Amino acid sequence: MLEVLHSLLFSTLDAAPALVFAALGAMLSERAGVVSVGVEGMMRTGAFCAAVAALVMPTPLAVLVGMAAGAGIAAVHGFLSIRWRSDQVVSGMALNLVAMAGGTFLLESLYGPNGTPGITQLSRWNLPGLSHVPLLGALSGHSAPTYLALTLPFVFHLLLSRTPLGLRLRAVGDKPHAVATLGLSVPALRWGAVLGGGLMAGLGGAVLSTAVLDRFEQHTPAGLGFMALAAMVFGRWTPLGAFAAALFFAFGNALRIGLASSAPWLLELVPQGFLLALPYLLTLLVLALQGQRGHAPAALGTPYEQESR
Amino acid sequence: MSLEDASLDIAPGELLAVVGENGAGKSSLMNVLYGLYHPDAGTFLMDGKPVRFKSPRDAIARGIGMVHQHFMLVPTLTVAENVVLGREPTKRGLLDLDRACDEVAATAKRFGFQLDPRARVDTLTVGSQQKVEIVKALHRGAQVLILDEPTAVLTPQESDELSQVMRGLVAQGRTVVLISHKLKEVLGVADRVAVMRRGRTVAVVRASETTVSALASLMVGEGSRGAAMTGVPAVAAGTQDAATGPVVLEAKDLRATGDNGRPALQGVSLTVRAGEIVGIAGVDGNGQRELAEVLTGLRKLDGGEGTLLGGPLAGLTPALAKARGVGHVPEDRLARAVVKAMTVEENVALGRHRQPPFARGPWVDFKGRRERTNQLLSGYDVRPNDPVVALQALSGGNQQKVVVARELDADPKLLVVVQPTRGLDIGAVAQVHERLRDAKARGAGVVMVSLDLEEVLALSDRVYVLYEGRVTGHFPRKDLDERALGRCMLGAEAGHG
Amino acid sequence: MGERTRQVLPSVLSVLLALAVCWLTIALTRDADTATRAYLQMLWGGVGNWPAFLEGGNSTAVLRPLGEAAMKAALLTLTGLSVAVAFKVGLFNIGAQGQMIWGALAAALVGAHVSLPGVLHVPLALIAAAVAGAAWASIAGVLKLKRGVHEVISTIMLNWVAVSLVDNWLVIGPLRAVAEGASSITGTAEILPSSQLPRLLGDSSRLNLGFPLALATALGVWVWLSRTRSGYETRAVGLTPEAARAAGIPTLWRAGGAMALAGALAGLAGAVLVLGTEGRYPGSLGAPYGFDGIAIALIGNNHPLGAALAATVFGILRAGGTRMQLLGVHKSFPELIQGFALLFVAGRMVWLALLERRQKRALAEKPAQAGVEVPRA
Repeated sequence: MLEVLHSLLFSTLDAAPALVFAALGAMLSERAGVVSVGVEGMMRTGAFCAAVAALVMPTPLAVLVGMAAGAGIAAVHGFLSIRWRSDQVVSGMALNLVAMAGGTFLLESLYGPNGTPGITQLSRWNLPGLSHVPLLGALSGHSAPTYLALTLPFVFHLLLSRTPLGLRLRAVGDKPHAVATLGLSVPALRWGAVLGGGLMAGLGGAVLSTAVLDRFEQHTPAGLGFMALAAMVFGRWTPLGAFAAALFFAFGNALRIGLASSAPWLLELVPQGFLLALPYLLTLLVLALQGQRGHAPAALGTPYEQESR
Repeated sequence: MSLEDASLDIAPGELLAVVGENGAGKSSLMNVLYGLYHPDAGTFLMDGKPVRFKSPRDAIARGIGMVHQHFMLVPTLTVAENVVLGREPTKRGLLDLDRACDEVAATAKRFGFQLDPRARVDTLTVGSQQKVEIVKALHRGAQVLILDEPTAVLTPQESDELSQVMRGLVAQGRTVVLISHKLKEVLGVADRVAVMRRGRTVAVVRASETTVSALASLMVGEGSRGAAMTGVPAVAAGTQDAATGPVVLEAKDLRATGDNGRPALQGVSLTVRAGEIVGIAGVDGNGQRELAEVLTGLRKLDGGEGTLLGGPLAGLTPALAKARGVGHVPEDRLARAVVKAMTVEENVALGRHRQPPFARGPWVDFKGRRERTNQLLSGYDVRPNDPVVALQALSGGNQQKVVVARELDADPKLLVVVQPTRGLDIGAVAQVHERLRDAKARGAGVVMVSLDLEEVLALSDRVYVLYEGRVTGHFPRKDLDERALGRCMLGAEAGHG
Repeated sequence: MGERTRQVLPSVLSVLLALAVCWLTIALTRDADTATRAYLQMLWGGVGNWPAFLEGGNSTAVLRPLGEAAMKAALLTLTGLSVAVAFKVGLFNIGAQGQMIWGALAAALVGAHVSLPGVLHVPLALIAAAVAGAAWASIAGVLKLKRGVHEVISTIMLNWVAVSLVDNWLVIGPLRAVAEGASSITGTAEILPSSQLPRLLGDSSRLNLGFPLALATALGVWVWLSRTRSGYETRAVGLTPEAARAAGIPTLWRAGGAMALAGALAGLAGAVLVLGTEGRYPGSLGAPYGFDGIAIALIGNNHPLGAALAATVFGILRAGGTRMQLLGVHKSFPELIQGFALLFVAGRMVWLALLERRQKRALAEKPAQAGVEVPRA
């Protein structure tokens, strides 16, 4: 029993980082008032660029390239939605489609349908003191992103709730005109949040192709970006909430995969499809229960125009 | 923007009031001073030296603070967080909220405000929120404080308190600029009064050397409304003391909740007969808007009963109200009365789009709609006289003409109008007033809500005064008196007749 | 600039710019000649190789590509309409994919398990698909109107719920076709011949009733929106809900109705896929048609006929994608063009600003003519 739990925890921690990073990135952008449905596209771009970069440079550096790529997509989003006040959902979905088609096109033209050539995965770290402690041992043997994913949510929490920048970001997502009358720049704050969100989403994508897999595959991230949105909503647009939701979703996934191999009879009773649908159903349920926009930032999705009040 | 050739001198340590009608350019001028808008031309001298504000940051740095008409507070943050936003105290890089609270509490205390720095702003009353705004400006070291229509949302008690605060600030050597269109209030508190009209400053006078009526005529110019503005209501043609037509609306003890969740109507009773204009007077936010919404089916009634055009008032929906013959000219035209992205003819059809000549069966009747629209556009002198142009391409006055034309064309038995001339130029105002008198002459009962006392006095056959959701005064035409009305608007019960 | 020009021009320019950018992509990675030839192949693959046909070639050279293009265009038209109708009432339907999945499944079930003569079978399968799609969309509609849940989030979630339940459970589980002999079948049982959409050009082309049906639907939606009372009410609700309410329009019913119609249209797309080409609910829909619908609706400026036009253009390009393989350009290339076109349409404001600046400059250069125009105040 303990062993089963151990392996469940281990695979949860192995799979969670991409989801955690993407959810944090989406949350950062949305807390500043800019809708982030483009996170799937940012992840895909980050995953692709990191995998390609890792062919010619050390993998850790390639992860940085993936982050930059995510920020690049976010910059287009910022240009359209902040500079030109385009519809933020339209812009995000457009970027998703471009990333989807562009990724496929580049992959097939450069490497063929089976994905990029294999790369060196990020190395795994064994924590000597922990490896033999029951359960806690599941913390050992992961690559750097896992440990980052366990700490970054707290850093984000600190950033949002305890720093001047965080206060300003929260204010700009709730009432941008109030921020403007104090002489702060609404566009600058939103640009910062959108680019930061892009870096995080790019990191989430890069992790998929450098830590979870060892290449970029055709369908990466296969909807993980949308699941990150679900985690953000489920976590009520807070860093720790999104973190908990992402861990929960990842655990559910690990459980499903674990059951498929260890207890297939159980899946006869509860079809896999239900388990797959669970994160989304739960998110819908939470939204339906809390109603009226839930805890979304008040100015979310509203382009800021200086001369209107 | 709405400013042309506006000039203003502000002396240190004085309380200067800037008055003018809605749309005269008061707020625009102040937003220019505060660096939010950028002037096309003109200079701005401070202490004799020319300055140029690129953003509010520059204005704040030079000691200018502004309290906006619509509060600029983040509702989900605390009082202290709102006040320190943009210049937050830190300790080792982190927000020092304790220090922020102490500082804010100290500032508030220094100016005599009771404020809990840890309270979330959305839990505060409107009056307290305004104090937060003032503290926000003072906390930034404002020497010049601009207040834009600060009393529009306050109760009379809160207004009095605010007057004392303003005098207190001046006594400490600060300068206060008060923007308002309430003349009496301005004269009670200001040292000097600047009058704006149509984007220009037309006069600057000492408060002690002028009167309400003198200011009023400066505000409107020597236009058609001069007579009505002097405070002595001219008896309009055809007004009579007691309308004898059938009762179109009889309401008893109406109760309703406002958008903020607080009771907005707390037992309003009124009667309207065919062929009379009934004015509803009151300070903004005393339930007038909610009353109009109840009568047009837009707001649910919590209690009370009434009969409206032969049916019960309870359970009224907009569609039902229309079917019974209620016309509605709402206050917020762009949000409620028109679909600005649709064409003029589509807007003329709005609300009557299911019946001839606008529809034939389930189909839109394009020909009938066009013909009727052309008739109305010519009859009401709407410019441009083009039924297929988007409504948003029309000026505000012409948009309002379209709305009034549409509502009167339906030949309403009860017409509910709210602030029908707000923001219109004088020519359009006269035309709208004339149309309201026409409606009355044709036998409609008209309920007119207006914040403009002069308008109420000029048009009404009877006036109800609302204060905090109750009727505090009821005046037939012969007893109409501005002062008595004013007392009722501030809460004194009087004039039940 | 006239109102109609303002509506149409940004879309046209966006598509042209997307074509140019993607041409450059090939030209830079390969060479200009290859890029041009690849584009020609894409065109021949979409509308048929007319030069070859006119020189005495086989009629299949024209009919087969046209059939493929029409098939793709039919799906794009219907999902595009789905998104456009929701937009008209002010809702962003990202859920066309999920609605289409349920529509396809319903059509597959009715097609396979109900026996009826063809005249009735096809309409019944279409209606079942429309109802299934409408029901799925109505979940998002009710959540929005009753609980204030933003439809963008709820439809995204509902898409994944639909994929999980249908593709990962029903179709591989209870509804899976019973394998005959040793061959294993993915997807549901094959539909009966009576429920197949009739082919219009015989066996040489896969052109079926789906495309005419989609065009007729587009026309119907346009007539409904522009010429009927309820269409007018729907647009009013979408543009200014409060004014619509004050005018006595039942706003909740109109919004809910438009969302259900959007779902029905996406469901029809699923039916056309199953009854026209696949013959069963395959293992999965195979392509994100629902997301394509977003691109089509927006490129068509949310106008029903605009969406049909955009769908036809991209149906042609995407059918031609396969021919590009001949030159070593991957067949997903047209999707890239479509993605870029949507991205450029998203920058609508940029286009309008650029066009207006141009116009202003033109006016400044010819002041004599500027005075002729009657200003609309």
